[in-house]
Amino acid sequence: MTESSPPPRMNPPVRTGPSRPSGPAGFVRDSALMGWRWLARMRTALYLLGALAVLSIIATAIPQEPNVPSTVAAWRAGESGPGTTASAVLDAIGAYDVYGSAIFLAVLLALYISLTGCLIPRIRAWIRLVRTSKPPIARHLGANDERQVLATSASVDEVHDTAARLLSEQRWRVRRHAGGPDDPRPAQVAAEKGLWTREGGSLIFHLSFYVLLGAIVFGQLATFEGQRGLVEGDPGFRDTAVSYWSYSPGRWFGEEEHDGWRLELDEFHVDWIRDPLAPGAGQPTVFRSDVTVTPPDGEPFAAVIDSNRPLNLDGTRITQLDWGYAPRVVVEVDGQVVHDAFLTPTLVDGGFYRGAVKAPAAEPDVGLDLFLYPFAPDDEDGRPIPTGAPWAEAPLLVLEQFRGDLQLGATQQTVNELDTGALDPEGFAALRPGQTIEVEGVTISFPELRQWVGLQVSSRPQVPFLLLAAVLLTGGLIASLYAYRRRVWVLAVEEGSEGRTLVTVAGRAFQRPEVFEEELADLAEALVGALEPGSPDRTRTGPAGPDHEPEGRAPDPDRTPSARGGA
Amino acid sequence: MSTDQLAELSRLLYFPTTLMLYLGAAVAYLYALTTTVGRQDERDRGNLARRLGGVLAVAGITAHVAHEIARGLAQDRLPLGNMFEVTSLMALVGVVTGLVYLQFIRNRPELNGFVLVTGSLVLGMAMLMYAEPGPLMPILDTWWRPFHVSLLVGAMGIFAAAFVFNGLYLLRDTAEAAVATQRSQPGRGSTVGAAYIGDVADARTGPDGGPEDDEERERADLLAYHRALRAGIPKVKLAVGTFVGTGLVSWVWLTTADTLAAGLTRFLTVNLVMVAAALLARWFVPFLPSTATMDGLAHRLTAFAFVLWTVGTIAGAMWAEVSWGRFWGWDPKETGAFLTWITYAGYLHARATRGVKGRGAAWIGIAAFIVLMGTYLIANYVVVGLHSYADL
Repeated sequence: MTESSPPPRMNPPVRTGPSRPSGPAGFVRDSALMGWRWLARMRTALYLLGALAVLSIIATAIPQEPNVPSTVAAWRAGESGPGTTASAVLDAIGAYDVYGSAIFLAVLLALYISLTGCLIPRIRAWIRLVRTSKPPIARHLGANDERQVLATSASVDEVHDTAARLLSEQRWRVRRHAGGPDDPRPAQVAAEKGLWTREGGSLIFHLSFYVLLGAIVFGQLATFEGQRGLVEGDPGFRDTAVSYWSYSPGRWFGEEEHDGWRLELDEFHVDWIRDPLAPGAGQPTVFRSDVTVTPPDGEPFAAVIDSNRPLNLDGTRITQLDWGYAPRVVVEVDGQVVHDAFLTPTLVDGGFYRGAVKAPAAEPDVGLDLFLYPFAPDDEDGRPIPTGAPWAEAPLLVLEQFRGDLQLGATQQTVNELDTGALDPEGFAALRPGQTIEVEGVTISFPELRQWVGLQVSSRPQVPFLLLAAVLLTGGLIASLYAYRRRVWVLAVEEGSEGRTLVTVAGRAFQRPEVFEEELADLAEALVGALEPGSPDRTRTGPAGPDHEPEGRAPDPDRTPSARGGA
Repeated sequence: MSTDQLAELSRLLYFPTTLMLYLGAAVAYLYALTTTVGRQDERDRGNLARRLGGVLAVAGITAHVAHEIARGLAQDRLPLGNMFEVTSLMALVGVVTGLVYLQFIRNRPELNGFVLVTGSLVLGMAMLMYAEPGPLMPILDTWWRPFHVSLLVGAMGIFAAAFVFNGLYLLRDTAEAAVATQRSQPGRGSTVGAAYIGDVADARTGPDGGPEDDEERERADLLAYHRALRAGIPKVKLAVGTFVGTGLVSWVWLTTADTLAAGLTRFLTVNLVMVAAALLARWFVPFLPSTATMDGLAHRLTAFAFVLWTVGTIAGAMWAEVSWGRFWGWDPKETGAFLTWITYAGYLHARATRGVKGRGAAWIGIAAFIVLMGTYLIANYVVVGLHSYADL
C-alpha cells in the first residue's frame, strides 16, 4: 500500500482560542480555573481522601469532646494526657472536636468540590453515551478478540435472527446489520453490554454522597432529640419542650411539633449473671422498661422498650440510654420536711453510685453527699461489707452531712455533686432501706429504693433519605465493580454450496478478560442450542486463531478506534 | 456432652488441631510450589505434596468449622460475640474464600499455601485474645448482630487475603525490577535472557556438553535467576520494614497488657512472626506468578471485601439507629470503620489513577490493612466507646 495522505506540515497554523481577559481579571480567572482543574484531578481526590484519613486517625487517637467530655476535661486540666501546654495546642487546632473543626469541614468541602468537578464531565459524557452510542459494527475482527467458530445447517438470516433474539433475552443491547454487496461491513449482529451500567453505577455511587450530605444537613435542621430520666412509678412526663432534661431541636423543629403524649415507667427490669464462676459473670442479661403511654387523645396503653426494640410513637423513637438506682431520701429539720424526692445517682467506677441531696429550704442549707452500694451484705459482726456487685440485694446508703451555704446558682455544680466550698461537715451515717437516722438534729430517712431509666426521645425525618443514600451507594458500588463491559459480534457466512453456514461468535472484554473465553463459549453453545434444538450434529472449532478468518481478510487491530480506549 | 466438655473440645479443636493442620497444609503447598521448576521426580513429589496439602487444608477447615460449632453449642449462641470469636471467624472466612477462589475460580491452586499461611497467622493472633465461651449481653441478642458482624468479619478476612497478594506483588515487582536493572547495566554481558545472569554456573559447565549437560545448565541458570530475584529484595530492609509496619499495629499490646513484660512478649512475638513470614515470602519470590496476576487478585479481593464492608457498616449504622437512637456518632469503632473505608476507597481510586496504579496502589492497600488492624485493636483495647462493652 502506498502512502496516499499528504505528510504533516512542519508548522501547522496555531489556532487561537477566544480572547481571554488579561490583567487582574485574567489572573483571577486563570487562578480559579487552575484551582478548579487541580481539584477535579483524581490525584487531588486521593490527597483529600488521605487528609480525611489523617484527620480520622487524629480523632481516634485523641479523645473527642462530643463523645467523652470528661476525658477531654481531664486532658485540658492536665490530670491526664500530654499536659496543659500540649492540650492548649490541641485545643487551638480543634483536635478535641475533629469532626466539628474548620479543617475537617474544609477538607470535606474540597472533597465535594473535587467530586463535583470530577463528576460534571463524566455525567455529560455518560448522557452522550446513553443517547448516541450504538454497538459498533465490525468491519474486520481484530486479532485480539476472543472468538468461537461453529458450523450449522441453518441459513445466515436464521442465525442472525436467533442470535439477535438470544442476545436481547440476555439483556445485551443489540444492533442488526444487514450488509450488502457494496458494504465493506459484513452482515452481522453486534451487541454490547455493561457500557452504561458500569459507568452509570460509578456515577450513582458518587452521586449518593450528595444525597447523604443533603440528608445530614436536612437532619441537622429538622431533627429533634431530648433526654429525660424517669423513676419507676413516677407520674411520668409529657412530650413538651419544657419536660426534657436536655433538649436539642433542629432549627426547623417547632415546639408545636411535639405530640404531647404522656409516658410513665411502670417497671424497669435489669439482671446479671450473678454466679462469679459462670462464664460471662457480671454481664447483664435483661435490660427492659415496661411503660404506659397515654396519647393526647386516646386510651393509655402498655408498651415495652427493649435494648434493640425502641418504642416508636408516630415516628418519634424512644430509646433506653441509661439506668440507675433511685433512692428516696427524706430530710426533716425541726419536724419540717425540707427534702422528699427520688434521687438519680450516677455510677462511679468501683460499682457504687454517687448522688447528692440539696435542701435549701432548711436554715442553714442541708447538703448530703450520698454513696449508694447496691449489694453490701452484713458480715458476721453485723458490719456492712460493700461489694462491687450491681444487684440491689442489700442496698446501703452511706452519706456525709453538710450544713452551710449550698451556693446554688452561684457556682457550677451538677445535680449529683455538692459544692462543699461553703459547707461544714457534720458527720457520717449509713442507712438501710426503711431506716431513719438523726445526725446533728437532722432526721434523714431512706424509705425505699427504686430504679430510674434515662430515655432518649428522638425524631429523625432524615432517616428515609439516609436509607435512600445507602441504597444508591451500595447499588452503584456493586454495578460499578461487577458490571463488565463486553462487546460481541455474531457473523454468519454461507460456506460453499453444501448449505453449511459458518458462524463466528467473537467478542471483546474490557474488564475481567480471564473469564470471557468461557462466557463466549457459553454464548456460542446457547446459540447452537437455539438454532438446532436437540441436534448433536454440529462442529465446533473454536476458540480459533486469526487463520480462521471467515471473510478471508487480514485481521485489522485498528478496526474501531472507540473500542480501544476502554476502562 | 456437658457444656464444659464442649468448651474443652472446641478449645482443643482450635489449638492445636486447626492451627497445626493449616500450618501443615501451608508447608505442603509451599513445598509443592518450589518443585514446579524442578526435575520430573521432584515434580512428582510436588504433586504428592499438593495433594497432601489439599487433604490437610480440608481437614483443617473441617476442624475449624467443628470448633465453631462446638463453641456455639457450648455457649448456646453464634460464636460472634467477642474479639477472639470474630478474629477466629475472620481466619476461617479468609481461608475458605481464598482457597475456593484460587482453586476453583482462578484455577491457581499453587498459591493456596500463602492463603493458608495468612490463615494460620490470623488464627494465631486470635489466640492472643482468647476468651472462654460465655453468654451474650441482651443488647447484642438480635438478628442485627450476626448480620452486621459477619459482613464485617467476612470483609476483614478477605482484606487479609488481599493484603497478602499486595505484599507478594510488591516483593515480586521489586525483585523483577532489580533483576532488570542489573541486566541493563553495561558490562554485565548479554541482556538476552535470564540464562546469563549466573556467570558462575556458566563457568562450571563446559561450552560443549551433551543434551544432559544442557538440561543441567538450564537448571543451573534457572537457580541463578532465582538467586538474583531473591537478591533483588534487600533482606535487612524487608525485615526492618515489616517489623516497623507490624509495630504500627502491635504497639497496642505494649500499652494494654497487664505487665510490661507480657506486653513486650506479645509485641515481639507478633512482630517477629510477621518478619519471619516476610522473609519466607522473599524466599518464595521466584516461584510466584506474574505481578499482573497478583495485582489482579489483590484488586478483585479488595473490591469484593469493600462491598461487604460498605454494607456491613451501613447495617451497623442502622442497628445503632435502632439500639442507641442515633445512626452515627463518631464512636471510636465508627471512626475506625469510616477510616478503613476511606483508605480502601483510596486504594480503589488509586488503581484508576495514572502514576499511582501498580506499586502506589499496592502500598495504599498495605497501608489500608494496617489501618484496618490498627483501628480494630485500638478501638477495642485502647479507647473506650460504645462498642467496648461488647468486647468487639
